[in-house]
Amino acid sequence: MNKKVNVLVACGAGIATSTVVMSKVEELFKENNIDVNLMQIKIAEAKSKQDDADMLISTTVLPTTYSIPTIKAMGYLTGLGVDKLNKEVIDTAKKIQDEAN
Amino acid sequence: MASDSTVEVSDYLRDQLIFLHTSFKTTEELFTSVNEVAKENGFVTDEFLPKIIKREATFPTGLQLEHRGVAIPHTDADTIKKEFVAVVVNDAPVKFNRMDDPEQTVDAKLAFVLGLNKPHAQLEMLQALMAIIQDDSLVQQLEEVSTVEQVHNLLSK
Repeated sequence: MNKKVNVLVACGAGIATSTVVMSKVEELFKENNIDVNLMQIKIAEAKSKQDDADMLISTTVLPTTYSIPTIKAMGYLTGLGVDKLNKEVIDTAKKIQDEAN
Repeated sequence: MASDSTVEVSDYLRDQLIFLHTSFKTTEELFTSVNEVAKENGFVTDEFLPKIIKREATFPTGLQLEHRGVAIPHTDADTIKKEFVAVVVNDAPVKFNRMDDPEQTVDAKLAFVLGLNKPHAQLEMLQALMAIIQDDSLVQQLEEVSTVEQVHNLLSK
């Protein structure tokens, strides 16, 4: 049984762009059979929530550094470089699962 | 994915909040004018202007597309009384800082100011908006509109 990956999805206000990214990655993880728990947050909350999470996907600049892997997901908004971004998201999640096994 | 969706960006358009042929030089000028009309018409609280200016400074909303820049400024849900998507088509590009790298700017003639107050609930509209932004020829047409009707037509597709 693979680990359920806890994913933070962040944007500046936690209202608009993270909503779009949430639905994109939800579908992506499903297609790749990766069990995840997605949490939509404001980027300012990421620091306090990182201890309970495995990775952070963000549409904003990262205001600080985090102890968990981070991915900038602007491509889901602009449509540029989506394939590469999908791969980065999946590879990161798989690596987290591998390390937990 | 959103193609069969019944929610369209045009549902969020308010005629008072479509700004065409404007000549804003800065984001602050743009926000000030949008706020003035939005406040007059009961769309936003007094906190909207200071918050959207601050938010744009901290977490900018300029998106660099392949051929052009577009911006989607927005701020906290509690500043929005009635939901809207304001459309601003400026005659010359306005410099917005980039969402993914605030050190860099994008030149955007087109800005969608998002007035949303139900967090996480406008997925269909936001997906439709992103599809519009990703459609280069549509964005180009929007940059050249001269009437409010044209904006409605282009955003109903």
